[in-house]
Amino acid sequence: MPNIDRREFLKLVGAGGVSVGAGFMLREANKDPREYLIPHVLAPEDFSSGLDTFYNSVCSMCPAGCGISVRTREGRAKKIEGNPAHPVSQGRLCTLGQAGLQALYNPDRLTAPMRRTGEGESASFEEITWEQGLKQVGDRLDLLRAARRGNRVAFLTQGVRGHLAQLFESFMRQLGSPRLLHYDFDHPHTLYAANQQFFGESRLPYYDLANTRLLLSFGADYLNNWISPVHHSLGFGESRQGRADVRGRFVQIEPRMSISGAAADEWIPAKPGTEGILALGLAHHIVAEGNYNGADLGAWTNALADYTPDAVAEQTGVPVNTITRLADSFVDTTPSLAIGGGAAGNHSNGVDTLVAVNALNYLVGNIGQEGGLVLNPEPAGPAVQQHRASYSAMVELAEAARQGEIDILIISGTNPVFTLPPAAEFAEALAQIPLVVSLSSFLDETTALADVILPSHTYLESWGDDFPEPGVGFSVGAVSQPVVSPLYNTRGTGDIILDLARRMGSSSVMPWQNMEEFLKYGWRRIYQRGDSQTLAQGFDAFWTSVLKAGAWGETTNGSTAFTLNPDVIAGIGVAPPEFSGSEEDYPFILHPYLSPNFHDGRGANLPWMQELPDPMTSVVYGSWVEVNPVTAEEMGLSEGDLVDIQSPHGQLRVPVFVYPAIMPNVIAIPIGQGHGEYGRYAKGRGVNPIEILSPLLEPITGNLASSATRVNLTPTGGRVKLVKTGGVSRDLGRDIVQHTSLGVEVSSAADNSIPITEVTT
Amino acid sequence: MSLFSRFMDGWRKYRKPGYYDEFDYHWTMTIDLDKCTGCEACVTACQAENNIPVVGEDEMAKGREMQWIRIERYWEGEYPNAKLSFIPMMCQHCDAAPCETVCPVGATYHNQDGLNAQIYNRCIGTRACAVYCPYEVRYFNYYDHEWDSPLEQQLNPDVTVRGKGVMEKCTFCIQRIRQAKDVAKDDDRRRVQDGEMQPACVQTCPTKALVFGDRKDHESQVYKSMNDPRNYRVLDELNTDSSVFYLKKVDA
Repeated sequence: MPNIDRREFLKLVGAGGVSVGAGFMLREANKDPREYLIPHVLAPEDFSSGLDTFYNSVCSMCPAGCGISVRTREGRAKKIEGNPAHPVSQGRLCTLGQAGLQALYNPDRLTAPMRRTGEGESASFEEITWEQGLKQVGDRLDLLRAARRGNRVAFLTQGVRGHLAQLFESFMRQLGSPRLLHYDFDHPHTLYAANQQFFGESRLPYYDLANTRLLLSFGADYLNNWISPVHHSLGFGESRQGRADVRGRFVQIEPRMSISGAAADEWIPAKPGTEGILALGLAHHIVAEGNYNGADLGAWTNALADYTPDAVAEQTGVPVNTITRLADSFVDTTPSLAIGGGAAGNHSNGVDTLVAVNALNYLVGNIGQEGGLVLNPEPAGPAVQQHRASYSAMVELAEAARQGEIDILIISGTNPVFTLPPAAEFAEALAQIPLVVSLSSFLDETTALADVILPSHTYLESWGDDFPEPGVGFSVGAVSQPVVSPLYNTRGTGDIILDLARRMGSSSVMPWQNMEEFLKYGWRRIYQRGDSQTLAQGFDAFWTSVLKAGAWGETTNGSTAFTLNPDVIAGIGVAPPEFSGSEEDYPFILHPYLSPNFHDGRGANLPWMQELPDPMTSVVYGSWVEVNPVTAEEMGLSEGDLVDIQSPHGQLRVPVFVYPAIMPNVIAIPIGQGHGEYGRYAKGRGVNPIEILSPLLEPITGNLASSATRVNLTPTGGRVKLVKTGGVSRDLGRDIVQHTSLGVEVSSAADNSIPITEVTT
Repeated sequence: MSLFSRFMDGWRKYRKPGYYDEFDYHWTMTIDLDKCTGCEACVTACQAENNIPVVGEDEMAKGREMQWIRIERYWEGEYPNAKLSFIPMMCQHCDAAPCETVCPVGATYHNQDGLNAQIYNRCIGTRACAVYCPYEVRYFNYYDHEWDSPLEQQLNPDVTVRGKGVMEKCTFCIQRIRQAKDVAKDDDRRRVQDGEMQPACVQTCPTKALVFGDRKDHESQVYKSMNDPRNYRVLDELNTDSSVFYLKKVDA
């Protein structure tokens, strides 16, 4: 510090002050005196916003496997769009797919590996390092493998296709354990089994909605949650108004009107579980009217003898003239298509029902036809169907755990504690397993019971691939690439598995350092299937082109020739559905349905989805039970009245929503809410109807007959205000949604047109 | 200019509020109700694109939701003949907009593209525009909304985050329009081509029910669509001259 006296100091300060002041004045004087009040509506001439980078990847919010294109800016994901080059989504995306960003940036994500400490009430999780976590799991895996007791390891994952599934498979093969289970609540087991029976192949055909002229849907909510909703929606739009001269007609048969039911031209309520009987009633009429002339006519006549329109009308509650009219138009309109699934498949007669729907397609010759049902070729990715775990497979796993046969359970991406009915006693079984490892990105109900949490990346941060099932009549695949760098101290699921494999000494068989390397290894085989032009450019160029396009396809057609095994015809028949509980004690049938917002509950931690009004009721942030208006009036119930819903296996308290399009003896509750964990947005909201489902099974697949629980309904006298956005649900003469009929439309075109205002100078 | 023609000019401007005799572009949307399934993909796409806040359950219960585009539902008939129709509703970008004439500070105005634009930092929050709007598509920020960290990392940098006391509504994704126009201008000052930009809702619509474009381009998809015999405008009797055309649902 130089030696400065007080006078010197004041001089310096003064001079500084003056020069600062002068500088300020100079700057102000040179400034543009205008201030803009309109900042970005009219952006300044030189305003250059940053540049977007788009990455193509695959959506993992539901099992449809849509291609996505993610807009990123400065390393952050901003918006997800459909990838126009992907044959499944064709540039479009559903509401849950749009909300994938909130899974990535969710405030309740698991940020680092954790280990459970303490027991019972005092249990909590402490943060550990990856080395600690992987070592703890890897050492025990290695120990079991060395002792040839690898079969005491079980691996439970959500339904995955593509090379991650193959990785899981080789991992379990190294351990010598058959216990690899792909579990999803909504996996259509009965549909696969029905196709196996009818077509002799256990995969889904391509439903050509775009070119069909008449669609009969038996319970399949194809526009919302059934198999591939975005692709079905594209087909629906195309069929309805995309063609110059034809407008496709859509008929929906289900006990409670779904989104697809609302979109349909005709909604037909049939008694729950009798959809297959109705299909056979149609088939009977087709055969009886002489509209089927195949060589196996005799066999069909015999098989369908009992399903006369009168008998079917009696069983299904659908009037005779509706049955005959539907059957006639199904024959007269070509191409036509019948699909079945959803609640219709989730009954004790689920497989038979869906076989009956296939039979309907067979009788009018829709199989292999454009606008009908096109059989798909073998998918290019690994086969996973044999690992698909039904409800009974999960019960077996729980039983094995209780018997002490399982030492380690690895859980990835699935939440069985939430999506299995309590009758499966899965949570109790988890407590019997010495080491439960969760690879989840969120603290869901299952992960909360884990001993070690090795958190995975979300799908927007990790490598993977997907081969959508069903394809679109040809093989489709896409690579899922990270679009942002990982937010937290998490790792890709594939990378974790490869690391564990190394730790148990399997690096000679599974030599890949990371998932990306393994993917390239797997895609090299797909590359080798290519034509000479593809092969000439080399693998690296092929890989880059697949990443860039975000889609890969192989337009070799599947085997369209189809001959029906005659044994199938003799076996056709749908038994009346079974229900749990007696009709006297439990007068209502519970119809649980997948919420459009939350799917099987996985979307409940996304604030956008919580705040998105349910399409049919406009309710947000909660659960409700849908009751027919007449039933509600008889019981003196109105909107918001709290009722107790009791099944033979549990009880829920939930407010009433009077729903105009549900059968009087059916009540419906959406699945998705009622989480006990799963972050701040999901926890403690609404109810989970899975909690009161009876463990009734479809015998062939062991699939849970989730639509076959009987319940009763008791008013409690309590009342809450249902939070919803919709006000008056009737038009009241305002003519907001206008209708026209097909015939009138063309003739009155002239008076109907609105003069377009042309502003002249 | 003669006194008479000046008077007529003034009279026309008085009768047709807005500041432009001829729009550069005339952005228009058509919505085919025969294709709309009510799936609400458009709603979430809009939330993501336009930094629309999540207001929470309590605010929702007070009817203070924020959704620039929403799905309205109308039931007809009784069980078993009940029918449900959906209609997407957003700012109709009226060329004779009631909200523009009422704003005391000119925060909402008509821009050179026929868009009804909202100037956030001019808005003083009288909410008069929301009262005047017959479509009920203006949303008011009763609070400064917060994004739980790190959700704010998703925010679109091209769109302002609105503060407390400000009215907001659908802009037809004006940021995308601006970008498309900038690109077109740099590219030899050409006009924006049909299909070059789409608002977020149109882009994601799984059934392609929504179509967007410039109605001055008579080759555009939207021009053809708005001249479909099924076309109508909601509450057309109010003479709002809206820029959103609906195509009637077909009963068959």
